[in-house]
Amino acid sequence: MSANGTMLVAGNIHKAFGDNEVLKGVSLSVERGEVVTLIGASGSGKSTFLRCLNLLEMPQQGELAIGTHKFSFGRGMRPAGDAQLALLRRSVGMVFQHFNLFPHMSVLANITEGPVQVKGMGQAEANALGRDLLAKVGLADKADTFPSRLSGGQKQRVAIARALAMKPDVMLFDEPTSALDPELVGEVLSVIRGLAAEGMTMVLVTHEMAFAADVSTRVGFMNDGIMAEIGTPEETIRQPRSERLRAFLSRFHEAH
Amino acid sequence: MYVWEFAALKPYWGLIWQGLLVTLFYTVTTVVAGLVIGLTVGILRTTAPRWVTVPLRLYIEVFRCTPLLVQLVWVYYALPVLIGVDMSPAMACFIALSLYAGSFYAEIFRGGIEAVDVGQWEAGRAIGMRRGKIFRRIVLPQATQVMIPSFINQTIMQLKNTSLVSVVAVGDLLYQGSVITASSYRPLEVYTTIAVLYFVVLFPLTLIADQVELRMGAHR
Repeated sequence: MSANGTMLVAGNIHKAFGDNEVLKGVSLSVERGEVVTLIGASGSGKSTFLRCLNLLEMPQQGELAIGTHKFSFGRGMRPAGDAQLALLRRSVGMVFQHFNLFPHMSVLANITEGPVQVKGMGQAEANALGRDLLAKVGLADKADTFPSRLSGGQKQRVAIARALAMKPDVMLFDEPTSALDPELVGEVLSVIRGLAAEGMTMVLVTHEMAFAADVSTRVGFMNDGIMAEIGTPEETIRQPRSERLRAFLSRFHEAH
Repeated sequence: MYVWEFAALKPYWGLIWQGLLVTLFYTVTTVVAGLVIGLTVGILRTTAPRWVTVPLRLYIEVFRCTPLLVQLVWVYYALPVLIGVDMSPAMACFIALSLYAGSFYAEIFRGGIEAVDVGQWEAGRAIGMRRGKIFRRIVLPQATQVMIPSFINQTIMQLKNTSLVSVVAVGDLLYQGSVITASSYRPLEVYTTIAVLYFVVLFPLTLIADQVELRMGAHR
């Protein structure tokens, strides 16, 4: 345990879709200020696991504790209610692969929607916060634009600002650059890098291996529904222990 | 060659005007009632448990798959016997037209709601919004945009369908037409005038529908 304190603990998370067992008991503990990256082949369960961390997916078994929010899942457990889930998600930001901006709202309104509607912040205060965040992600001039006018990289930066507007304790990124043209990946990664430098606690799912090695405090390799290997980038990416991770990384290097 | 004589209708303009007002009255009231029914049923069908959605589906299919004329006559003649109340023709027409409109609007609402990407719900949930608020602020505004052209089309149909109330002697535009024909012996002039009046009311609506569709296309 670091001196900073533990921010997030997921214990023995199980999740199946019908007969398909996607997570077979995954555990992860994240310290405040850590950046944990999850890598693995598609279908390994990494995105599902990430979505279990803000309970967009409901685990069938296991425990989740983020800050003061604690949940247990399993037979006989009362399912968490809408209100309880909403409270958890206030403090856990998420950025999606396909941005999921609200197309009928301006960029600024996308960002202020959460603070105003969920936290009851005044519109003027929220607008000021929104403009600050837009400046931070390099889009100060786009406040009144609609999402349909933005490039993919700009959309994703707005999505990051929207999540940050809730002042979350943890940020989750679900393949934030996978839907982007290659030349737009850099601008999004540099925003994420900036957040890491500020000490934001983050869990990322990504295929950007060099970025993962660079920005992460730990890298976890998920394979077939379990956390097969986890450690510092040095350990997992440079000196993989398991044959499977070696195979995954070499396949990856061939492809890129 | 037929000699048109629209002047023969002059004494009847009051009746025609009255009929037009009745037609518009039924259109407006049953569209409003139909929208309330349609929104409620449409939302319930996308969110409620099966024991609610199955009967609603039955309602929708019954009203979509039987002719409105049959529904009208059934509500006027059969329903009063079954529930033991007197039903005025006006009431029967209002009920049948509203339920009919409601069944179609419900499907339009459901389709519009389901057309909104599931990622929009997830984005709302991810910033801590609750179900009802996501629906009102995120999903419904987007669904409405998709639905507007279908809405206008269905509303145009509804105005035309009100002509069926003449069958149970409610004095709408078409009914007044038959009354005037009986005393003026001028069916060609009468029904031509009536057709023109329907057209004059509805044509601007179709133009509006086209405009809305165009503008929505430009926004994307």
